Amino acid sequence: MRRVELDFRPAVPAADANAAVGRRHDRRVAVDDAAGVVAEMDRAGVSQALVYAPHAAAYDSREGNAWLADAVRGEPRLVPQFVCNPAFDDLDDTAAHAAGAGARAVRMLPMLHNYPFRPWVVGAWLAWLAAEGLPLWLPMDYAANWHTGGELDPHEVFETVRELPELAVVLSEVHYRQASWALPLLRSLPNLSIELSRFVIVDGVQRLLDAAGPRRILFGSRFPDSPMAPQLYHLHRCGLSEDDLRAICAGNLLRLLGMDAS
Amino acid sequence: MTASAAGRSAPRRGGAAAGGAPPEPAPVIDFHCHAGRWGRYWVDDACDRYLRVMDAAGIDRACLNCIWHGDARRGNDVVAGFLRQRPDRFIGAAFATPHYPEEAVPELERAVDQLGMAYVKVYPDYVGRPVDDPAYFPIFEWVNARGLPVMCHATYPFDPPGTTITGRFTALSRRFPHVTWVLAHAAGRVDADAARAARCLPKVYLETCSSGTALGAVEYAVEHAGEDRVLFGSDMPLMDARQQIAKVATAAISPQAKRKVLGANALRVLGLSTDLRPVPRPARGA
Ligand SMILES: [Zn+2]
Repeated sequence: MRRVELDFRPAVPAADANAAVGRRHDRRVAVDDAAGVVAEMDRAGVSQALVYAPHAAAYDSREGNAWLADAVRGEPRLVPQFVCNPAFDDLDDTAAHAAGAGARAVRMLPMLHNYPFRPWVVGAWLAWLAAEGLPLWLPMDYAANWHTGGELDPHEVFETVRELPELAVVLSEVHYRQASWALPLLRSLPNLSIELSRFVIVDGVQRLLDAAGPRRILFGSRFPDSPMAPQLYHLHRCGLSEDDLRAICAGNLLRLLGMDAS
Repeated sequence: MTASAAGRSAPRRGGAAAGGAPPEPAPVIDFHCHAGRWGRYWVDDACDRYLRVMDAAGIDRACLNCIWHGDARRGNDVVAGFLRQRPDRFIGAAFATPHYPEEAVPELERAVDQLGMAYVKVYPDYVGRPVDDPAYFPIFEWVNARGLPVMCHATYPFDPPGTTITGRFTALSRRFPHVTWVLAHAAGRVDADAARAARCLPKVYLETCSSGTALGAVEYAVEHAGEDRVLFGSDMPLMDARQQIAKVATAAISPQAKRKVLGANALRVLGLSTDLRPVPRPARGA
């Protein structure tokens, strides 16, 4: 019993690379406001969290992003991530809105928004992200009532991202179903990182270290569907050096977001 | 005596009702692990990897089953290989398939009496029959006579509308009153039906592993099924036991409840003392 910590607190700063704030259309989530996210961060020992609005993913990105910007205003620990739909949204409007709201990352869901992740759809958007130094999150899917979009297409990601080595891309919510291609993809694309919230395969962190090294792995929780503390506990049991633990728990995310690690 | 050696003594253990004295510091037991390779999901069953992950997670014993073979004997032999290598770290669970009823009981006798396995695993989703299909009944009659635990998924992808976990395990518990049912993954999500089954039925337990780490799932199971009715499991090597044990270690439940979930309850289900020796059971009619 001595070896399982029953009162765990992280030994290094932690910043969550995958959390949501706001209501969903298809079910009531346990926490749906900024104060609730911050309370979970306090409980888990998380200093900052990158947050997106589910409404921006599931329905209208412009309206959802605007709601998010209001929700996190005055709460510097919550860093806004805008959802963009390049097949529908206006790039100039979105870019201005993102800059005004202090968005530091973008999330795209090609399978949900029903477009190919190809340069002839997303090229101008990716050029904007690369020019602004905004990293792009690509979740595997978006599970929700009335949405039957498939999973992210690894071939499209490879072909598109390989052409933009200056763009930082984060594979998010990678499940064990996708491990068979996510690891080779990480090996193939040096500008690709991975967020850990759903990556549960045995020895997953070690396998990611072998494939991508310590600077391309990001702690993430998928809050409020999942709590924040377990993945941090897991990372503290992976035999990482303190430098690598610091990088994975917070440093890599803050670097991608252009934020100070202090 | 080791845990797997303990499994050789019959008649046996298992099926204890919940409750009793508060647990002393108990070994940590992972009730749900697999043996066997599954390349599709990067599952490989290297023994040294299990041991390294178990050590890092703080797990004393891992219960292993091998459910992937149409021939249960082959799967059970894979598990037996682990028991031979590290009888001090692994507990075997015998796989039984309903597709070969003529082989099931002789194979269970071999797996339990000769190979030292401690409970029985059936896998309704993979073999294509829900757990209350009569095809399993010869298996459960044998398990019932031995008073062993069975671990299984509680639901089935093609359950007809109206099927409930409580209804299913009420019927099974009436028919097989000496079987302890461990519902795999049922504490890995917020599941009111599973919690109700554990609350209503004295020999139903909920196990914690899930790929989704649902917010509040362990807390819900402990509150609604009771802290005596939840068992830690990891699903290793499909999932990492450090990540799975973290859900219990960091849950908003009491330290006593954590100790019960992490090992004390499993000891009771397996009929083992805190030093992993079999606890003598009063004789009962089968
Ligand atoms: Zn399993």
